Amino acid sequence: MLERFIQAIFTDDAGAESQAETRERLKGSFAPGATRRMTQLGLVVGAALNKLEPTADDTLVYASTFAESRSLESYLDSFPAASPTLFQTSIHPSGAQQALIGRQRSLGEVFSHSGVDQMPAQSLLTAMLAPAGRVLLCGGEEHGDWLVNYYSAQDRTFGYALALTREPGPAPLGRLALLPTEQPGALKQSQWFDLLHQRRALDGPIALGWRLQLSWS
Amino acid sequence: MTDPLITRLKHLIVDTLHLDGVTPDDIDENAPLIGSGLALDSIDALELVVKIEKEFGIKIGSSEESRQALASVASLADFIRVRAKK
Amino acid sequence: MAGPIASETVLLKACDCLTPFGGSVETLTALLSGERALQTQPVLGREGGDLVPLALLPGRALDETAPPSWLAQVRALLAPVNEAGWGTARRPVFVTSSNFGAGSLYAYRRSGDAAHMGYGALVNCVGWLRQQLGWQENVTIFSHACVSAHLGLLQASRVLQAGLADEALVFSFDFLSPFVSGGFNALKILNADFPAPYQARATGSIGLGDGAGYAVLSRTSGDFAIVAQSMYNEMHHFTANQPNGAGFEACLAPLASQAAGRRLWLKGHGTGTLDAGRMESGAFAKVFAGAPLVGWKGSLGHTLGSCGLVELALALAAIRHGRTPGTIGSAAPTFTAEVAIDAFANDRYDGVVCASNAFGGAHAALLLSHA
Repeated sequence: MLERFIQAIFTDDAGAESQAETRERLKGSFAPGATRRMTQLGLVVGAALNKLEPTADDTLVYASTFAESRSLESYLDSFPAASPTLFQTSIHPSGAQQALIGRQRSLGEVFSHSGVDQMPAQSLLTAMLAPAGRVLLCGGEEHGDWLVNYYSAQDRTFGYALALTREPGPAPLGRLALLPTEQPGALKQSQWFDLLHQRRALDGPIALGWRLQLSWS
Repeated sequence: MTDPLITRLKHLIVDTLHLDGVTPDDIDENAPLIGSGLALDSIDALELVVKIEKEFGIKIGSSEESRQALASVASLADFIRVRAKK
Repeated sequence: MAGPIASETVLLKACDCLTPFGGSVETLTALLSGERALQTQPVLGREGGDLVPLALLPGRALDETAPPSWLAQVRALLAPVNEAGWGTARRPVFVTSSNFGAGSLYAYRRSGDAAHMGYGALVNCVGWLRQQLGWQENVTIFSHACVSAHLGLLQASRVLQAGLADEALVFSFDFLSPFVSGGFNALKILNADFPAPYQARATGSIGLGDGAGYAVLSRTSGDFAIVAQSMYNEMHHFTANQPNGAGFEACLAPLASQAAGRRLWLKGHGTGTLDAGRMESGAFAKVFAGAPLVGWKGSLGHTLGSCGLVELALALAAIRHGRTPGTIGSAAPTFTAEVAIDAFANDRYDGVVCASNAFGGAHAALLLSHA
């Protein structure tokens, strides 16, 4: 069994909010002027991540199925005069890097996941196997425009960030355990976010070979 | 007397880079464009290059040439004038 | 502070790559002959644009087809190892790339042909690949620009070391399209000049290349081993490194203790840009004083997310062959005296450090040695 304890958690369900609305709502979480080039995904993930106060000893595990959908769409539409800013921000793991670069927060290990219904489990496994004393597990999605029609972008915006430790400490907020299982399983990013955002417990298979026990204090 | 090219470039900078709260009059044409009061960086510079190439029909070849051209609004105006003649 | 070293050894049971020259053996032969795969081509493919140095697989055009034109060559690359069972619980697959199906997305948006979209978005591209290659569900996807392959190798190593798998397949690929060449051209580092890694000249430039590679990792089989792996992320700027080069050193320094007593040569990232090349070669010279440094992107171009695995396969082939290709495309003066322009015999060396760097100041490195 692999186990980590949740010491802090921040979630943001921005839903159908526009990019401008999210920027206005979250600009106080960033230095003045820092949000000018930030994507909606970068804003929701970054605001949550900043609250965890990343340090150089932390490992970061970031997960996003579709990453910077709007930058991708806009970058494609900028051709033939390709936009260097949109090219840059469309590259995974921009959503996590935007806030960290804004605060000049260097880190040792950064793992950047993508995927669909095995991804939450795989990102949890990466977090569980990382040697660092504290792992920051974060991720999210931003709603796209035309990419949504091709199952290539999410239709809602959300972000999450958790601080995980091996030891429970005096007041853990929750516990995550991965156990082997023979049963098949799947858990999409939006389902994983809803579990976290609603502080719901789970005990069941979430991927091929893995069962998740999620409990809250 | 205000140089119309410099005025045009100041408007272009504010619009292209979405500089909320900054007006063209706030930009000192002789101050360093990158790394000074406007908090612009090299990616902003490259975004400006793309816009300038399109607006003025000139070509900036390398990142080193970009840095020289965008040293300030005034140097950018001079660069455009020279290139546009060729 | 750099991330902890993955200090337990993992064996390299199989490893190969695909470049415009062919597999690792054919590519090594070409590199030892000083050949350059890069050729000038329009940056936007059939839509023209600046002429820039690109290296495409033979018969492949920059503009993507539906289905993507590179599948047959990927299938051939993986044929020696792609037996049934990959993607099951005990035989995980790790797929890494920077661009995945970006070429298909670009092709759709420019042509309006929706047939491209089945291969476009990252997850659709991998889903299609998985189906084509017969992999089960246990496929982990990593994407972190030009250190992507290293993430796959490191996590695969940890899964094996934890006893959670019997073997692991790490596969990495990046095939060019106007999406990526247009982006680097907009960054003004892909232009008319050919790359000259680590050469001290007035302007820097890169080339881009198609590439794919795989590694089968095992705890029990293989005559070579990945002895140590390291990562560091500066988070200083998207396209620039900390000016003092500290990020490069922070990634390499933890490997030095693992390298004690070994005589090593160095395979650097060396894309041809000036500042990064100067800092990277300086860091190598400081941490591994006197060790010869080579980079092969002057011939193959930068194969982006796949470069870590492509160049690992070539380093392995070089060790097996007994000769390391020099830094093709470069000439004196170089940033440090350790940069090896010419090929050299490597039979007196005990191993190689292979390093890659990426946007955002991401750094990754590994130490490859005989098992």
